[in-house]
Amino acid sequence: MVKANKARISELEEMIQIVLLAIPREISAREFYLSAVAKATSDASRTMFLNLAEQEKGHEIWLRKILNDLKTELGGLKSKN
Amino acid sequence: MKKDDLKEYTGKDGKPAYIAYKGKVYDVSKSKLWANGIHMANHKAGQDLTANIVMAPHGEDVLKRVTLVGELEDKEPDLQIPPDIQLQVNIKEKYRQLYKKFHPHPVLIHNPMGLFVFSALMQAIYILSKDVSFERAAFYSTIFATLTTFPAILSGLFSWWVNYETTFTKIFKAKIIFSAILCVTSIIVCLLRTLIPNIYIEEGLLNIIYNSLIFLNVGFISYVAYNGGKITWPS
Ligand code: HEM
Repeated sequence: MVKANKARISELEEMIQIVLLAIPREISAREFYLSAVAKATSDASRTMFLNLAEQEKGHEIWLRKILNDLKTELGGLKSKN
Repeated sequence: MKKDDLKEYTGKDGKPAYIAYKGKVYDVSKSKLWANGIHMANHKAGQDLTANIVMAPHGEDVLKRVTLVGELEDKEPDLQIPPDIQLQVNIKEKYRQLYKKFHPHPVLIHNPMGLFVFSALMQAIYILSKDVSFERAAFYSTIFATLTTFPAILSGLFSWWVNYETTFTKIFKAKIIFSAILCVTSIIVCLLRTLIPNIYIEEGLLNIIYNSLIFLNVGFISYVAYNGGKITWPS
């Protein structure tokens, strides 16, 4: 039981690190696409970049949600030990 | 329609497939992409999929192609963020923009990194050549290395706060612990050499400690920097 907990804790910590490092990437990807929107010369490309920017925002929200869940689970496990 | 009613429309066993999105209910039964009520092996009919759109490679415009059948009565209220938290978020966003513009951490770390290495190199040349001008160079560059370590660390902590919500992970633990060790050891080197000016010629334990720390500092700062690289270049 305790061993299983330990394994899960290190798994969670690993996941948290991955998700954490991914978030700033999504943010800068979004900002990059938004700057591309400003530079786009046609409506079609503007729409495309806007869509891409929107998706990055979605990824960021999703990652934050996952991060929150992981942190909650980790907190729960650690307080049990 | 209520959420509980929606659950019935799973698209399985010949039932229609309904999905909810932002309070509206759509019939996706006719779509080939929703055969058996399952979309892309991941999203199931009979549910509110508002949050799932972020995983999709498409936007909400695809919903124009399916039939709107009604409204969800008990949709989740839109998330309201309390004003004080909103204010904090805004302030942090302002700092994040500033950080992005000036990126102080990668700017400031090069001073201590260069100086600690330079100091060790000078000390090594002194030990080999016994030319005291190299010993002086080693001492003075350790002083400047120590002084410039603090802005480097503070900017790192600042970035950790604005970009990574001060979350402890292996990488950040390693950076913080070894930065702290580096602060202590570099101050010890400065103090030893200031309080015992002959430490570099008087043979004995203190001399060994003094020399060892000068070289160890290079190891400590390299390890902190190596972990920093893992943040910007994750493998
Ligand atoms: C003397 C001490 C330190 C040195 C020499 C150092 C060195 C580095 C290096 C070489 C990078 C990679 C930069 C790049 O690829 O552009 C980096 C990144 C980073 N370091 Fe440090 N670091 C130090 C202390 C700290 C501390 C105490 C923290 C806080 C926990 C920290 C947080 C970060 C963060 C968040 C990054 C990602 C890049 C960024 O946000 O700008 N560092 N560090």
